[in-house]
Amino acid sequence: MMTLLLALALLWPLGVAGYTLWNAYRRPATQRGYFSLLWLSAVWPALLLAYAGEAHWTINAWMLGGEWELNSLSRPWLAFTALLWGLAAFHAKGYFAAEQAKAQAGDQDAQRRLLRLALLWPLTLLGNVLLIIAQDIASFYLGFALMTFAAYALVVHSGSDEARLGAKAYLILAVVGEGLILGGFLWAAGEADTLTLQGVREGILVAEHGSWMAALLCLGFGVKAGVIGLHVWLPLAHPVAPAPASAVLSGAMIKAGLLGWISVLPLGSEQVSEPLAQFGNTMLIAGLAAAFGAALYGVFQRHPKAVLAYSSISQMGMMTALVAMGLVAPEVWPLLWPGLVLFAAHHALAKGSLFMGTSISEHLPRWPLPLIWALLALPGISLAGAIGAGMVSKWGVKSPLYEMHHESLIKLLSWAAVGTAALVSVALWRQWQQRHKGGSNPEQWGAWLVAIVAALLTPLWLPLPAGSIEMPPMKEWLGIVWPFPVGVLFAAIGWLLTRPLKGKTLPAGDLWWLYAGVVSAMLVPIQAFGHGCGRLKSASVVTAQKAEETLMGHITRLLSGESWLRHHTSGLMMVLAVLLAALLMWEGQR
Amino acid sequence: MNAAWLPLTALATSLLVVVIIFALPEEARRLRTTINLVAAVVKIILVMLMVRRVAAGHEDIFSFQVIGGVDFVLRSDALGVMFAGLSSLLWLCTTVYAIGYLEGSANRKRFFGFFSLCVASTIGIALADNLFTFLIFYEMLTLSTYPLVVHNGTQKALDAGRVYLRYTLSAGVVLLLGAVLLYTLTGDQSFSSEEGLGDYLNDHRGLLTLIFALLVGGLAVKAAMVPLHGWLPRAMVAPAPVSALLHAVAVVKAGAFGILRVVYDLFGIELSVELGVITVLAVAASITIIYGSLRAIAQEELKPRLAFSTVSQVSYVILGIGIFGPFGTVGALAHLLHQGLMKVTLFFCAGNYAEELGIHRIDEMDGAGKRMPLTSIAFTIGALGMIGLPPVAGFITKWYLGVGAIQAGMYWIVAVLVASSTLNAIYFLPIVHRLWFRLGPSHGKGSWPKEQRLGRLETHGWLLWPMVFTALVSLGAGLFAGLPFSPLDWAARVANGEYLP
Repeated sequence: MMTLLLALALLWPLGVAGYTLWNAYRRPATQRGYFSLLWLSAVWPALLLAYAGEAHWTINAWMLGGEWELNSLSRPWLAFTALLWGLAAFHAKGYFAAEQAKAQAGDQDAQRRLLRLALLWPLTLLGNVLLIIAQDIASFYLGFALMTFAAYALVVHSGSDEARLGAKAYLILAVVGEGLILGGFLWAAGEADTLTLQGVREGILVAEHGSWMAALLCLGFGVKAGVIGLHVWLPLAHPVAPAPASAVLSGAMIKAGLLGWISVLPLGSEQVSEPLAQFGNTMLIAGLAAAFGAALYGVFQRHPKAVLAYSSISQMGMMTALVAMGLVAPEVWPLLWPGLVLFAAHHALAKGSLFMGTSISEHLPRWPLPLIWALLALPGISLAGAIGAGMVSKWGVKSPLYEMHHESLIKLLSWAAVGTAALVSVALWRQWQQRHKGGSNPEQWGAWLVAIVAALLTPLWLPLPAGSIEMPPMKEWLGIVWPFPVGVLFAAIGWLLTRPLKGKTLPAGDLWWLYAGVVSAMLVPIQAFGHGCGRLKSASVVTAQKAEETLMGHITRLLSGESWLRHHTSGLMMVLAVLLAALLMWEGQR
Repeated sequence: MNAAWLPLTALATSLLVVVIIFALPEEARRLRTTINLVAAVVKIILVMLMVRRVAAGHEDIFSFQVIGGVDFVLRSDALGVMFAGLSSLLWLCTTVYAIGYLEGSANRKRFFGFFSLCVASTIGIALADNLFTFLIFYEMLTLSTYPLVVHNGTQKALDAGRVYLRYTLSAGVVLLLGAVLLYTLTGDQSFSSEEGLGDYLNDHRGLLTLIFALLVGGLAVKAAMVPLHGWLPRAMVAPAPVSALLHAVAVVKAGAFGILRVVYDLFGIELSVELGVITVLAVAASITIIYGSLRAIAQEELKPRLAFSTVSQVSYVILGIGIFGPFGTVGALAHLLHQGLMKVTLFFCAGNYAEELGIHRIDEMDGAGKRMPLTSIAFTIGALGMIGLPPVAGFITKWYLGVGAIQAGMYWIVAVLVASSTLNAIYFLPIVHRLWFRLGPSHGKGSWPKEQRLGRLETHGWLLWPMVFTALVSLGAGLFAGLPFSPLDWAARVANGEYLP
């Protein structure tokens, strides 16, 4: 039964992609619907699979040996990922309704874009599902690569200049990331002679250069997870991607980077070596830097989705810090990880609904405005930890840290939550400024509402181990809730202080522009060197040809000597005969 | 039981076809096609028989004495059968493709005659059991490919053919010198002898190194290792099926296969390590890999870009030889097959674009995915495989090479692999992007350079199906690498034979 479900979960999206192609091939463009019920159902088997229980599969024929598993970690992960994908698909149906109408009216551009999206959406989803259940390196890498490269179509969808820039940044960093991951995997797996993620974890733990392997892998996955320095694609890609694509990008796909870390790092092991712990500290600092830096930079963004992208970087920074605790203080990890998974799941749904919300504020339904803004704010407030699942997830990571006496980290995380609150308020404010009337259809706001409810009630439906998550006690509430009002206050003060700037903002993508400048400056000497090499080559070809000519000249002259020989054959023969005779006579006289 | 007829018939089928084709008149198109296809299928069956016999532990030998001390020996061992299998499978595909490609053009008799001779030579190379036999077929290959390279008869083609002959014939002389030196030292040395040349190590260290340098130096020209690769990009003027055959199995692979034979079967891996030549090979291969990729980025036409990609990819095989240990060997052997499958696909695609739409330059490929979806999907699969992304076969070899390098303590090779993957991505992803994400003539922007409607589908069926087949096989070889008799499985079998007593 489980195996059947697994096969369905993996083959169904593939079948949906195939059906989309078939549909495009068979049906005339004027009657073609890209988002049929079948298309919406691509992720349903995977969602069912997450709730069907734990299981383990070994498939020897699959690549280097397939090892797939649903365990206490991958089940909740699959659950929230699949749920978000499902909701985003519904949202997409509504979001693209206008574009589909255009396509049916004969707009070829719209047809092309929609077909591309409808085809690659299930493939991206398939990659995401596969990497969650994979326990062997090859499957994991396959899922990761499939998701990464197929998602390009989701980012570039609109085809505008900004979209192309965002997609380019996404792709360049993705290639860099894939390279780092490949290097890290080869190194770790070669050292430990293993094909499974479990083996990589154990290998990194005991290897001499374990911390370097961990660093390679962490940076590689860090491209997805938006680790500071490699995060630049997020604020460039998110604003340009369609809202449902941003939702899964920020909700599900960047979590794949986080899952990558959890899968390859020997978190919570007692024998963490000194360099590995040192690496953990670096990661902790990088995470906190991202949490604060992104908040500081993000509040100055104009586009609400750019603000939300920076909020994702900030949130992922917090999660980075929590993962790093598994190396720095291994003893907290067994208590911490359920909280971290809840944190990730809640962020996925909350951020997903916030991104879907941006499409709601652009096409406001005919509801009272205060109600809409209250609804738009709900996931944000929860994200800042003031209500619902946000509170529970904050407590879920706080209480183990309390128990193990890491008060300073708790304090820092609370202040980072202040940043989250500020970012969310800025995002809402920007949405308010850029609101548009009319046009939401039921799928669009329906999926959004369900996502909000799911975000607020995350602990209720997430299949975490029993008893690993509990409600915060009443006396702790104040300690969890305070960052929210403070953050809103900060945002308001900041707004007042920056009013004289008249809306001048910092460019989205911060370091990207620096990198682009550095790379293009570096290309200049490389190009000069290349031209130099080209000149050197043509010069040596010329020299070689000259040398050949001279040589051939000499040989030709030898040949002309031959004709001289021919001319004087008889005389030469005579001379030869005389010489021979003389030789013989001389020989005979002796 | 020794089935001596088996290697002989496998060789004879192709040779016989050569004779028949040259005897037939130019106009007998239908008969020629039938004979070609029947022979190709028969050969696949024969090779499959050999595979079964080798898997069961039989190695069939056919031999006769030419003059005293010099024998002509054919033997079907695991490594040879592997190459013969690749050769016969791709012979069928390229023959089908060539029939479609050359529809209505002149000099088809000459083309198919030399085409079959070329394949017969590769089978001979695969099954040769000593250096003498190997050399015969190796030179036969050189001579039989020349008419194919210059098939178009244009000045450019003739120039390219001359450059090709200069490179390969002088390499042949070097190779012959090495072979003669070896014969004076050891007499007839079978590839299958257990002891290798280890006995001569103490007294003739310098001479052995010289022989190795001469042999590998001579073979490296065909394997297109930098700086001996100059002929390959020029030979691109050949018709697409020839390029496909040249790059996937015939010439380039014959060089790589020769180096495999020299290192594993003639010298033996222990002796090669002892002489220290292994590391030199690895370094030379790394340089070739990086240089080929860099040059590929700079190419603006499709076929030269693929040619430089071949320069880079074939050296993966050499790199695998340079990594001491079973993993490196498995990587090298598997890549011999994987690269052949993927590269043949890419060249079929390039040929299809050129035939159907007249595309030669990369910037003409915008939006071709809509006009030729199957070709473009096949190209995408091949390109992703070259980059080394799963689930295409290229990933499997990259994995084995990397793991082998780590286990041999050669960490820098992983850096080379990662750099090469990134460079591959840099020169293949833009093409894929153009195919699928740019607007082009099929979206009403501009027009194709020279569009023909060759068939009911996106192009002529004879051009389409071989490409679809090789693309699927490249995908399957990666996706189901764990199945018995997959390229990886067979490579592991050969490597086990090398490293386990």
